[in-house]
Amino acid sequence: MHPTKAVSRRLQRRTLRDLQRLLGPENVLHEPEDLLLYEYDGSVEVARPDCVVFPQTTEQVVGIVQIARRDRVPIVGRGAGTGLSGGALAREGGIVVVFSRMNRILEIDLENQRAVVQPGVVNLDLTKAVEHAGLYFAPDPSSQKACTIGGNVAENAGGPHTLAYGVTTNHVLGLELVLMDGSVVRVGSRAPDPPGYDLTGLLVGSEGTLALVTEITVRLLRSPEAVKTLLAVFDRVDDATATVVEITARAITPAACEMLDGWTLRAVEDFIHAGFPLDAAAVLLIELEGLAEAVEAQAVQVFDVCTRCRAREVRLARDEAERQRLWAGRKNAFGAVGRLSPSYYTQDGVIPRTKLPETLRRIEQIGATYGFQIGNVFHAGDGNLHPIILFDSRDPDQFARAVAASTAIMEHCLSVGGALTGEHGVGMEKSELMPRMFTEDDLELMRRVRDAFDPLGLLNPGKILPLGKGCGEIRVQPLPLRAPQSA
Amino acid sequence: MSTPGTAALTRLADLVGAEHFWTDPTGLSRYVVDGRWPRAAVQPGSAEEVAEVVRLARAEKLALVPVGGGTRLGLGMPPSRYDVAVDCSRLNRIIAYDPGDLTLGVEAGMRVAALDAVLARHGQMLPLEMPFFDAMTIGGMLASGSSGPQRQLYGAPRDFLLGAEFVTGEGRRAKSGGRVVKNVTGYDFHRLLIGSLGTLAIFTVANFRTFPRPPAQALFVISFAELGGALALRRALAQSPLTPTAIELASPALVRLLGPDAALVPPGHWSVWVLAGGESTVVERHARDLERMARSASRTAFARLDAESMNPLWTRLREFPSLAREASPAPTLVKCNMLPGELGTLAAHAENIAGRHRLPCALLLRGVGILYVLLLPEETGEETLARLAAAAEELLQTGTEYGSAVVEACPVELKRMVHVWGSAARRNDLELMRRLKQVFDPDHVLSPGRHIGGL
Repeated sequence: MHPTKAVSRRLQRRTLRDLQRLLGPENVLHEPEDLLLYEYDGSVEVARPDCVVFPQTTEQVVGIVQIARRDRVPIVGRGAGTGLSGGALAREGGIVVVFSRMNRILEIDLENQRAVVQPGVVNLDLTKAVEHAGLYFAPDPSSQKACTIGGNVAENAGGPHTLAYGVTTNHVLGLELVLMDGSVVRVGSRAPDPPGYDLTGLLVGSEGTLALVTEITVRLLRSPEAVKTLLAVFDRVDDATATVVEITARAITPAACEMLDGWTLRAVEDFIHAGFPLDAAAVLLIELEGLAEAVEAQAVQVFDVCTRCRAREVRLARDEAERQRLWAGRKNAFGAVGRLSPSYYTQDGVIPRTKLPETLRRIEQIGATYGFQIGNVFHAGDGNLHPIILFDSRDPDQFARAVAASTAIMEHCLSVGGALTGEHGVGMEKSELMPRMFTEDDLELMRRVRDAFDPLGLLNPGKILPLGKGCGEIRVQPLPLRAPQSA
Repeated sequence: MSTPGTAALTRLADLVGAEHFWTDPTGLSRYVVDGRWPRAAVQPGSAEEVAEVVRLARAEKLALVPVGGGTRLGLGMPPSRYDVAVDCSRLNRIIAYDPGDLTLGVEAGMRVAALDAVLARHGQMLPLEMPFFDAMTIGGMLASGSSGPQRQLYGAPRDFLLGAEFVTGEGRRAKSGGRVVKNVTGYDFHRLLIGSLGTLAIFTVANFRTFPRPPAQALFVISFAELGGALALRRALAQSPLTPTAIELASPALVRLLGPDAALVPPGHWSVWVLAGGESTVVERHARDLERMARSASRTAFARLDAESMNPLWTRLREFPSLAREASPAPTLVKCNMLPGELGTLAAHAENIAGRHRLPCALLLRGVGILYVLLLPEETGEETLARLAAAAEELLQTGTEYGSAVVEACPVELKRMVHVWGSAARRNDLELMRRLKQVFDPDHVLSPGRHIGGL
């Protein structure tokens, strides 16, 4: 593999000393063996920071920013490190700020369905804290047992149920920010429609390039009274994709609509025993939620569509245990695939849903052309693909072909009107592909907005925006290596 | 300061074509903002023409105000400079509609109502029922940060806008987002521009996700002798599994504005207007549960109007700001934003403030946490204006204690006495907004001075 080389810049002695004074030596890691873990996140990239710090208060974050600014050291925020695009990696070295010790839920307002949390709160822990009152936090990335809400905000994280409920940005109402000039600013509000520009909307999904987030106000949803989970089994991939197209076209809105192709579901079944039929070409996992009457009506419609589209079988999960097994199969699919191949690479493209059948056929062709098995397990309902390319990264020829296959898939997504990333983020994985989707004027505007927040370019440098023409850095294409988990 | 030279105006005319250029008072009267007249108005025919107009204006130091349907030009403070109105109504095409994907790309000058008619033919819709529905354009709706009762279920436009194309104050065309329902590629400028009142950029295209039109709908109008009962019903609804499309609470005075059709609410009573949509079984479930909840909250009347019979009453409620114009020569609308649980407290404050200043007032409370206070003075003398200003000022202050408050509509003279953005101008994120203004519109070509803090 050819990981992107971090431009290691040794910290000045005083930088480290002042960080230790500010946070206590126990909250500053700088020995190479201690830094090892922070060279990685959930992506395929590697970059070594110069030190890692663990603040506990907003004031400490301000102090860190002031030191970094004084000594011109890059600074990168990090939650649990589950991100899939290299967002939490110190591409140019510097200080990684880990928010795991700012993990308190500061306030829960059950009546108004709001919560105020620190960025290090684990996604699922917020739901656990409010589920007794019938509430939950809607964004549900597959890493939700580990990933933090701060990380969700940075990446605008999604998950299977975003089909009905929207992604992180639809659930974040306000933020406390530490800016690179050391100021603390509050944007948004608990109340609707704060006057002025929607800075919260700009900040969510900005991948840690505009500010460090130290507090988050979120909306909580009421748990639905009824849930039905269906497994539709198909003998042909085309029938499964046609079903998704038809469900969308009839404007049936499931809470989730996930697809696993035959190859993937066999890999999963071998490992998880979710109950997927081994001889199927594809399955759809469809979840309906809401008012009992709405779920009932939708179930009838979904059964009808599946049958018309030649589903071999449509099975309704009889109880919670069966439902959990089916979801375990979906959520552990990437782990299951990981057992089969020395390396694999998961893409994250988006297409209009009407283009699903032709796109899956195209992916199969691409696999054949480049000589790979490409598995598909993805958020079919919102056209968010996650093709998995299996290969052996120790073989340079395979590596090059895997890169080419991956690029071919992304090119197809863009050619049918899609987007580069649906939920994993641009990070350092796709920054060089940005010019394929945006004009130079679009990118220039993004660059200038970033500069307006961070004139010195110290905050998470080398992310989102392409490194630019003529800067001389040789950039390896997006790197397939491994992917522990995907959304 | 910036008197446009004849030469500059001639070039503008050449740019868009003489038939899309006005300097005469009749042609310009539609574009008056807070009593300020532009020198000229242009109707560009393409996004590129919009960009050329902006570039020319920037070079010639002309101030522009983008105009859509002209329905909400009174928002914000009067522009500090105003030379040319940029009327976007010729940008009125649907550029991509994929009903099977439930996605849409539409030019910013298209009227919301016209778009709705197209979507209806495919059994789809955008949840954009809001005041000025018939005249408002997509770009104006977004730029003014407008929303309506359906946001209870569907969220505000920021929640279903997928991407946009726009022209910045430097006259550069740019875009953000895309036309797919899930996308995290790049900064979300399209959200930033919502509610920016045309001070950062001019929308040229907006991409949305569309929604199925509910097969069945019903409007429930439930009356209570006191506000307390209405609030209790709102609370019970919020804690129930029901999924109403809209929850609006109307004060007795607001119901009076609706006219004789509103007789289903006993005179002097508060009312809760609940819209429910979906399959007929879903609507019936709402009917059953609402009936039960209303009874335990001691309702005085319960009416149900089905899809065929709910208009024109529902439309009149939606258009309440226009009704105010029929009721008062100087209607003033203050919008207060708060947590839903504080609606009752603030409503009581508002009635109290209006009463102390001897001003008739009507209230509309939206379940998501918005209180509209309509002050309805009976005449426009100087003394009345002074009372109006004092009441507005107090409402802004009190509203800000609970969240935020702005004056959304008022007589022009009031803007000399009251800062319509209230204390929003003291928010500590204003400096960030200034920096963004500097990036998007460094020479203050677009809508100068209308937004908070003189943005």
